[in-house]
Amino acid sequence: MKIKFIFLLFIAFYLAIIVRLFFLQVIYSPLNKSEYLKTNKLYPVRGRIYDLKNQSLVLNQNSYQLYIEPKKIADKDKLLQLLSKSLEVEEASISAKLNMSKNWVAIFAGITQEQKDKIDKLNLKGIGFDYQTKRFYPEASLSAHLLGFLGKDNQGEDVGYLGLEGFYNRDLRGLPGFLETERDILGRPILIGVQQRVEAENGRDLVLTIDKNVQEISKKRLLEGLDKYKAKKGCVITADPKTMAILSLVCLPDYDLEKYYLFNENFYKNLAISDLYEPGSVFKPLIVAAALEEKKIKPNDIYNETGQVAVGEYNIKTWNDKYEGRISMTRILEKSSNVGMVYIGEKLGNKKIYSYLEKFGFGQNTDIDLEGEASGYLKPANNWYPIDYATVTFGQGIAITPIQLIRAFASIINGGYLMKPYVVQKIVSENKVTEIKPKIEKRVISQMTSNIIKKMLVSTVENAEAKWDRPKGFSIGGKTGTAQVPIKGIYDTSKTIASFIGFAPAENPKFLTFVVLYEPKTSQWGSETAAPLFFEIVKDLIVYYNISPTQ
Amino acid sequence: MKNIFLRTTGLIMTGLIIANLFVVISGIVISDEINNFEKKTNSLHRINLTLEKEVAKLSSLKFAQEQAKEFNFINSTAPQYIDQLKYAQR
Repeated sequence: MKIKFIFLLFIAFYLAIIVRLFFLQVIYSPLNKSEYLKTNKLYPVRGRIYDLKNQSLVLNQNSYQLYIEPKKIADKDKLLQLLSKSLEVEEASISAKLNMSKNWVAIFAGITQEQKDKIDKLNLKGIGFDYQTKRFYPEASLSAHLLGFLGKDNQGEDVGYLGLEGFYNRDLRGLPGFLETERDILGRPILIGVQQRVEAENGRDLVLTIDKNVQEISKKRLLEGLDKYKAKKGCVITADPKTMAILSLVCLPDYDLEKYYLFNENFYKNLAISDLYEPGSVFKPLIVAAALEEKKIKPNDIYNETGQVAVGEYNIKTWNDKYEGRISMTRILEKSSNVGMVYIGEKLGNKKIYSYLEKFGFGQNTDIDLEGEASGYLKPANNWYPIDYATVTFGQGIAITPIQLIRAFASIINGGYLMKPYVVQKIVSENKVTEIKPKIEKRVISQMTSNIIKKMLVSTVENAEAKWDRPKGFSIGGKTGTAQVPIKGIYDTSKTIASFIGFAPAENPKFLTFVVLYEPKTSQWGSETAAPLFFEIVKDLIVYYNISPTQ
Repeated sequence: MKNIFLRTTGLIMTGLIIANLFVVISGIVISDEINNFEKKTNSLHRINLTLEKEVAKLSSLKFAQEQAKEFNFINSTAPQYIDQLKYAQR
């Protein structure tokens, strides 16, 4: 009897379990699946960015999103007061986000580990943190324009904007994975249940051609230059002329990468790749190189500089309206003679001028691996008037970007090769390293022409009208430029863009540096603003690269 | 015969219950371990990021500048470079 009773009791117990399981698994199954089957997205770690020497420029750091569950709050006023104190924000800004009718409200993202620890100690009810990561910049905004920033798209997902973050967003972001797992009420995995895990593929790391020390030198000197010459803005680009690997690229004013959202969109613009301007006299060596290549001139050929030159209804004059009589082609560069350049342009011929502009890559993207490049504009040859061919020989009437200029200039000193500029030299994933090699786009001039123009540019620095405080014992080549700024089709004589492009050591250039200052106030001339700044940078780079004097 | 059958059934049932208990407890223990490992992995990942950040901070130019300032290595104490190498080579 007892056994039968126990037996019936067991039967009843098992029946109860079966009925309950039937309700849970069949009747309520679709609705309650999420209670035990958790599917989590596994976020990949965004790729890091390193400089040439594997020094970090961009890393990831722990970050948290602070949320509040309004219905669990004990004392709203006290909570607001304590949070405001810990986060150093106004109570009103927290209060504005706090909707008491909701169950869960996100308050702030980007909370640091230190801030979280501080809030945790307060032991507040109704608040919590979701883990996230955010970008960390060990060198602060040393390379703001170059790096770009990480923002959100309209679905709230991380997305890189501008610079490297924008250009290499697909490499950097990686691929998300997912974890599908059945969990018990305490959140422990149920081993006999569904356990499926697809690992996230972390983003690829980038190793740049940028040297953060050269970047620091450039930024420090540019900052000093902007202050000293009262310029509105400016850029310094340094590249290896043989490969067009960019060693530094700085434009000022820039912005704070950590707080990019506080800045106006104008600050995001990387002038070096997206600002079109008329280059002025720094353009002259390109035309001279083309004329040398076509054997239309030789360095010692003589031009009789007697006065202004008329082209149609326009008169072209030298910068100081002074004329030296019989001068060589090298002297035309040394004294930056506009009328001399018109003569060289005439010798070269209009068709050749236009074809060399195309060969030097003007009017086309350089395809540098940075987001936001402008291509410039080279109007069709049939729209060119004689005055256009005359002015382009001294760098007016053509709109280019600084990166186009430095690329074209590199080609005349590296043996004639037009190279593709690049910033990333290696893309490193978990099991593969992809190296990016220098790329020759085309050959523009011969080695011999390149050697000749280099000598002419060294002479230009040594015999220029202005005398600079140059590093002694080093042979340096270069050219100044002062371009007038067209405003509504008319050149404003009070505003100029002063620049200098140069290289050292001239025999075997280690670096090519381009300095451009927009609207300097202390002097409008490149020779009195950009050139001294260039030589300050060169002095630092010579020490940094340990280059020995040769003279 | 009936006794033997009942005892055997009882033993099997007891064995099964013990085995079942063992499996359930083991499952809970292993689940706990998995949970702990997940937490530890996440924690290690966060510590790793923090350490990486600290290392980067210490090797940054920004930190070097702060240190230089602290130790008074400023412009007035900058090293003098030799213009004429022949003196240095003597």
